[in-house]
Amino acid sequence: MRLPLASAGLLIAALSTLVGGAASSGVPRPASRPMRVMSINQCTDQIVLALLPPERIASVTWLSRDPDASLMAAAARRVAVNHGLVEEVVRDRPDLVVADSSSMPGTRALLKRLGWPMIEVDSADSIERIRAVTRRIARAVGEQVRSETLIAQMDRELASLAQDSRPPLRVAAWDGSGFGAEKGSLFDRLLRLSGAVNVANEPPASRYGTPDIEVLLAAAPDLLVQGSEDRGSLRDYLARHALVRRFWGNGRTLTVRQADYLCGTPFIAESALKLRRELRTASAAIRARLPFAQTGLR
Amino acid sequence: MSALALRNLVIRRGARTVIAGADIVFHAGRLTAVIGPNGAGKSSMLAAAAGLLPPASGTVWLGADLLSSLPRRELARRRAYLPQRAGVEWPISVERVVALGLAPTLPVFGGVSPTLASAIERALEECDLVGLRDRPATSLSGGELARVMLARAIVGDPEVLIVDEPTAGLDPRHALDAVRRLRARADAGRTVIMAIHEVDLALRFADDVVALRDGAIVAAGAATRVMTEATLSALYDVRAHIRHDGSCSTVHFVD
Amino acid sequence: MNRWLVPALALALIAASAASLLAGTVWLRPQDVLAAIAHPSDDLPGLIVLQIRLPRVLLAMMIGGILGLSGAVLQGLLRNPLAEPGLLGVSAGASLGAVIAIYYGFSASFSLASPLFGLAGGFVTASVAFLLARGGGTLALILAGSAVTAIAAAGTEVALNLAPNPYAAYEIMNWLMGSLADRGWDHVRLAAPFIVAGGALLLATGPALDVLALGETQAESLGVAVGRMRLIALIGTALGVGAATAVAGAIGFVGLVAPHVVRPLVHHQPGRLLLPSALTGALIVVLADTATRVMRLGGPPINLGVLISLVGAPFFLWLVLHVRTRTA
Repeated sequence: MRLPLASAGLLIAALSTLVGGAASSGVPRPASRPMRVMSINQCTDQIVLALLPPERIASVTWLSRDPDASLMAAAARRVAVNHGLVEEVVRDRPDLVVADSSSMPGTRALLKRLGWPMIEVDSADSIERIRAVTRRIARAVGEQVRSETLIAQMDRELASLAQDSRPPLRVAAWDGSGFGAEKGSLFDRLLRLSGAVNVANEPPASRYGTPDIEVLLAAAPDLLVQGSEDRGSLRDYLARHALVRRFWGNGRTLTVRQADYLCGTPFIAESALKLRRELRTASAAIRARLPFAQTGLR
Repeated sequence: MSALALRNLVIRRGARTVIAGADIVFHAGRLTAVIGPNGAGKSSMLAAAAGLLPPASGTVWLGADLLSSLPRRELARRRAYLPQRAGVEWPISVERVVALGLAPTLPVFGGVSPTLASAIERALEECDLVGLRDRPATSLSGGELARVMLARAIVGDPEVLIVDEPTAGLDPRHALDAVRRLRARADAGRTVIMAIHEVDLALRFADDVVALRDGAIVAAGAATRVMTEATLSALYDVRAHIRHDGSCSTVHFVD
Repeated sequence: MNRWLVPALALALIAASAASLLAGTVWLRPQDVLAAIAHPSDDLPGLIVLQIRLPRVLLAMMIGGILGLSGAVLQGLLRNPLAEPGLLGVSAGASLGAVIAIYYGFSASFSLASPLFGLAGGFVTASVAFLLARGGGTLALILAGSAVTAIAAAGTEVALNLAPNPYAAYEIMNWLMGSLADRGWDHVRLAAPFIVAGGALLLATGPALDVLALGETQAESLGVAVGRMRLIALIGTALGVGAATAVAGAIGFVGLVAPHVVRPLVHHQPGRLLLPSALTGALIVVLADTATRVMRLGGPPINLGVLISLVGAPFFLWLVLHVRTRTA
């Protein structure tokens, strides 16, 4: 236990002397309008890419180029990528690092020790926080006008979503990677905005988070929403279960990209509008009741 | 009852020749001791004689049958073999260990028939194991275990009994007892072969002796003819004196 | 005791399996289950009993049975009470095969790719272990097994490391914990032929295992073809345990513990141990799988393999201490 600590300390000391030795000139001074911004978290990537033109972005994480997990995959392909390493920060010398305050504590601690200009933002896991985080990053990079445009757009779309007064659709949702759409998660928020309620969060299944096939039968949701396309996930025995294919196979299963709920961005309302259209279309196409649906549960 | 004959037997282990052309007959009704220094090839010769070590060339005959042409189970019924320091790996009861000696006789499925049960009973009695029959074999003393292994070997009444160092690790009383039991098998008409380091016991109990050194048979024949001071001295590279003391002869090695 | 052991275990297994049909997210009454079996229909109890819990219980029985059986055979064959199916690299190879199928797109094209790859992986590692150990005897087989296990585990880690999906590490960890959740008749149909064939081969080694208690030389002298028997045990394990791992992920401890539980009851005879050990393994997995459905600790369900290790490891420790004081 002592050894890794000691070696981490040594590493910090070595890097400090290496970078800090050239001290005043090595570490950039905080700029009011940073020209080379580096994001080291998949979710801050999304907002940085949305706010800044490619020439002002030093790099974003490699994960943001994955179109399934990133709304900004096309933009990410126009800028360099990093793997969230301090070495990359020191090499690429951005004048601002954007990090998420809940991940990579080691990297952030080391950057702080080096005195690198950095902002750490909270996870944007609610609409309120999406506004706050977007504004905070925008202030740091000097792009308040752009951020207010994005937020205003989101608020218009949210208002339009709120006008829909039809009763929510009953769906069961899960993520192929093995995560559920638990209460409080962005996935659950996306479903609610789209006019759906996740039965895996309601009685009798409310304790379970990720639904299993028994939950599906007991709750008999009208539609299934499978988060992240099936890329051959190990966990997705559920999507392939014979009963799921039989009862929800044709038209009753929708897929939604991880990108739509993985990170909180002002684009969540746009994703919700799209999902609502798909859900209503699929729901309208339903002809027969599921034979095992228990009316008492509704 | 059949004799066991080795014809021009050559055994190699890797590139090394451990037995270079053995030609010998082990007669029925006789106890043959195979003696010789460590590394002389005694164990290899016994294993080949038992059909467990395929020779590089030469043949082994059990009576009129070529050993290598016998089916496994038939061979297992007709000859028994006990390796050095034979033991049991699980705490199985003595009676069941002895019953394992009947494995080649038993049908693949099904129980022990009354005749076989009486064979087990007889083997237990012959080896004084009746009182120990329910004890786990792993909890026995060295002498007791040696008796269990012998009972296991003779329970099927094989024509040929081959035992590699039956006295290894035993105190004098149990060593004496072990060889005496082999002697009794030979007296009952079976072919009994043992490799042994205690030349006193060989001299006293064996009918025939085969002296082996560096993979070659140095001398073979009746015990009294082979066990001379000259042969033993040459065999072990130590001066040997044989003292006759009434009915008993003892060998002393002096340097 | 001895005579009643197999019937008693079989009865306990039937009772546990029947109880298992009642328990889960939706609790059923016995009369619901009986009605569902008597008149199959697409109502809720009908689907839950016939399409979900019945295949799951059957898989639990088969997987537990083959693990217990193969553990007993390998302990007898290697004359080592710590031997278990994982030792020959079968589980590690099956895991590697499944991971490759999943992360490199084969399972996207047909849904049974991962179990089939798992099976192939188990077979390849076991064959490599056997080839490496050929002519070297039992100790060589143990060493070769550890070596191929390490290689297969390293392969799994590389596959994980390079997998295109960033959640791969999370998923593979989860899968390696073993589970029967959401498995259906597809998986029964896939695994059953291999498990039955493997089980038959393993059972056939029984009489020879007894003789092998005397050591390999004495067993040879008593007419046992030790080399051929080792091959049969290996093929049986690769088929059976490979299929089990391919369907359910890695489930440890059953193969190790099940033989120990019943060994004193069959007077330590390795051959007599096989059937009771298979039944005990089946009982353990059926009970544990039922428990994973009933025990919910708030978050995601606790995985089958985790639960068995959680209970199995301390039990095994107790067993080791108990056996040591008794026989020392």
